[in-house]
Amino acid sequence: MSITEKIQAKAKELLDSGTVNYIIGWEKGTFWHQSTPVFVKKAADADKLIWDEFCINSLSTYLIRLDDELKVGLFVKGCDSKGIVRLIQDKQLKREQVVLIGIPCNGMRNAKGAVEKTEPANLPLEQKCIECVHPNPVIYDELIGEPVVIADKSDRFNDVLELEKLSPNEKYQYWAAQFEKCIRCYACRNTCPACNCKECYVDQYRVGWQNKAVDLAENQMFHVTRAMHVAGRCVECGECQRQCPMDIPIMQMNRKLIMEINELFGEYAAGVDLEAKPPLGQFKTDDPEEFM
Amino acid sequence: MKAINKSQIEELIQALAAEGQVFVPQELNGNTKYAPWQKGVQVILDKNVLLSPKDILFPQTEAMYSYVADNLNTAITEVAVAAEKQVIFGIKPCDVKSVRLMDLVFLTKGFEDTFYKTKKDNTLLVSVGCAKAEPTCFCTSMDVNPQVEEGADLALIDMGEEYGVEAKTEAGSQLLAKINSLLKDSTGQLIETTGFQIVFDGIEGVPEKLKGMFEHPIWDEICLKCISCGACTYLCPTCHCFDIQTKKIGKEGYSYRCWDSCMFSDYALMAGGHDVRPSKKERVRQRFMHKLRYFPERYNELMCVGCGRCLAKCPVNVDITRIIGQIKEAEVNGG
Amino acid sequence: MAVRVEEIKMINPLVPIKGKIIKIVTETPDVKTFHVTTENGKPFTPMPGQLAMFSLLGVGEAMFSITTQGENHLEFSIKKTGMLTDALHAAVVGQEVGIRGPYGNGFPIDAVKGKDVLFIAGGIGLAPVRSLITHCVANRADFGKLDVVYGSRSPADLCFKEDLFENWTKVPDMNLHVTVDRGDEDWTGPVGFVPSFLEEINPDPKDKVTVVCGPPIMIKFVMQSLDKMKYDHQDIITTLEMRMKCGIGKCGRCNIGSCFICLDGPVFTMSQLANMPNEY
Repeated sequence: MSITEKIQAKAKELLDSGTVNYIIGWEKGTFWHQSTPVFVKKAADADKLIWDEFCINSLSTYLIRLDDELKVGLFVKGCDSKGIVRLIQDKQLKREQVVLIGIPCNGMRNAKGAVEKTEPANLPLEQKCIECVHPNPVIYDELIGEPVVIADKSDRFNDVLELEKLSPNEKYQYWAAQFEKCIRCYACRNTCPACNCKECYVDQYRVGWQNKAVDLAENQMFHVTRAMHVAGRCVECGECQRQCPMDIPIMQMNRKLIMEINELFGEYAAGVDLEAKPPLGQFKTDDPEEFM
Repeated sequence: MKAINKSQIEELIQALAAEGQVFVPQELNGNTKYAPWQKGVQVILDKNVLLSPKDILFPQTEAMYSYVADNLNTAITEVAVAAEKQVIFGIKPCDVKSVRLMDLVFLTKGFEDTFYKTKKDNTLLVSVGCAKAEPTCFCTSMDVNPQVEEGADLALIDMGEEYGVEAKTEAGSQLLAKINSLLKDSTGQLIETTGFQIVFDGIEGVPEKLKGMFEHPIWDEICLKCISCGACTYLCPTCHCFDIQTKKIGKEGYSYRCWDSCMFSDYALMAGGHDVRPSKKERVRQRFMHKLRYFPERYNELMCVGCGRCLAKCPVNVDITRIIGQIKEAEVNGG
Repeated sequence: MAVRVEEIKMINPLVPIKGKIIKIVTETPDVKTFHVTTENGKPFTPMPGQLAMFSLLGVGEAMFSITTQGENHLEFSIKKTGMLTDALHAAVVGQEVGIRGPYGNGFPIDAVKGKDVLFIAGGIGLAPVRSLITHCVANRADFGKLDVVYGSRSPADLCFKEDLFENWTKVPDMNLHVTVDRGDEDWTGPVGFVPSFLEEINPDPKDKVTVVCGPPIMIKFVMQSLDKMKYDHQDIITTLEMRMKCGIGKCGRCNIGSCFICLDGPVFTMSQLANMPNEY
């Protein structure tokens, strides 16, 4: 049985037995090189579900503050599963509310606008998959498929290290050019499992942290604030950067903070271990105190 | 028809520069958009660019008036809109139509929008037609001519090695006369635009059908995967919803208008808590109703030009063409 | 010299003119009426039912119905409910403000002329309706019998007490029916919700135009009562409210279907509303 067939069978089983109210997975999208999230409520629709090299969307964002009475079946790759751990740790989802079907992932492909249909193996990997360190789901009720061997991806910090070599002014110019591009669509925030606040600071108009004007100053404020708010909790799913319509290298900021936190508080990978508290959500008496 | 060799485009733009600042489609920092032309800039004419020229006539953030509020006293000063002549060169027919639609919004029905009008009155549109469609293009299915659309002053039509040059307005004729030395008699043939991957048999009947579909269960399904960001609305060349806000710096500040999105959760939220669109379902329904029913009812034009930007960039692949198909197939009770 | 309605259209419609609060009347614990003028007199001359954008510079701007007008001023009755209205309620006489308008279609005066008029309002809903009442009172001969049916939560929450219990009682052929949901020690009048109160009064639908405005729940039950009493929806008008920003039908926000409340409304007949999407 192919993974697609196993997915469809599993979905039918979960829906027929009434174990879940609905299933979230992927179906074919507009083009051959797109697969898109789909919500399946009836067992008869389970054959919409597929698994291919384009199931790139992380589905964890749909589970934020799921209604208490609902139970959902979710297919999770490594990145999606880390998003789920994020939600559970942040108390935005209860473990019992999700039935997780894990699928080890060999990486999704980026067609880069190719028109002619071609073998997915001929296409380059998505950026976030090149940098991925958790291809196997870290949390699941059942696993479909064989676990993938994890390669060393420490070079994923290379572009951050290169940026660190720039002078402060060069760094400023680099990021100013990037933030100028931002159209404040908030796709990055809306898709991020770590961005799960009931009321985002951006929407707190009465306080006025963030002005609605789209200019460099406000854009800088938004991106830096968001990076700081997810620091220590970012699971490196890479969806923010992938979804950004303006191609802003958001993960460079997130990785910079991951490096800093690793140095200050010890190696920590967010979203992997349900029991391991995020470093900025606790304190230890031997925490660094350079400023004291 | 007159024509100009494709190799002479730089000269043409140079000539247009005498009419005012020329905006051309180009790449900047990894994004393709309209920006002021400078000599040597690589002008992108073989396909459409990501950011439409919407923001030249309707900036994403636009100061309207400055104020001073010192205790009981107030002073209000309108921001003078620069009435500088400008040319938008290389605008694609789909985007030309969307400017036409924005004209309907900002210049008709009771009030004229001063900010938009001042800029529009001083803008010349020189369009360039498309010989080849992108996979995401579906303009022909939305009744848009991929080579030339009404609303351009001067239209360049792709004819292979050359562009046919047509004046479409009085201003266009004057422009044509000024650039005459660059032109020759046309020797080419208008190219029938090819490469459309998305084609459907038009939008006939959809606005009418939607009249009976406000409470249809289809919206419960369509809204599910949307993540309520503003990518579609901000990239869309016809979307024009705006907010009015204030930038306050102590006792002074300015009031501005800025793009807003019906997708955002607080769009319809009133003081006191009443919200007519409390969930994703109402908001997604509003978007497609506006594009396919409300705007046609009000202005007799569809509000989608088939440029395909939303399709290309929606993070979850919400596809308006697929939704149109679902609407067409939907069963509606009561006739 | 006051700026005429036609002139407003040539001025930038999104930029306010400077006004000043010259009087503040406390109607209820959370409703105040603000009298506004400019150095040139009345900012503009609205039709009954029209709206204006009222701003406190540096705080915000919102659309309010013009509850009535005088020779040289406009009146806004505003409930304390959010960021801007909180700040307005803290304002004092002399505060300079921004004002632009008039917006909206106003009440269909010609359709009402010669008819009996029944005004039904709840709470702050009396504010927009009051502009038509004061117009009818000022042009008494043009209109038939006037009946006002009004209710609020408690006696303290009744707006425009001076009109209800003094000014309007002196108007010929005008009847005032005021109720409260809950009385207090001093209240000797009727107690009960507006819909049931209305049914007790049982006004005759013949040759009558009805104007309804109030909380959505009140409108719902009032409509049920009017249906019972065989009122024609074409002759029932209401005035709506939604979040508005531009006021000129361009920013897209206040739409119900293809209508903009700021431009095609806020006054609609019930028949018109029945043909519009249920999203208000």
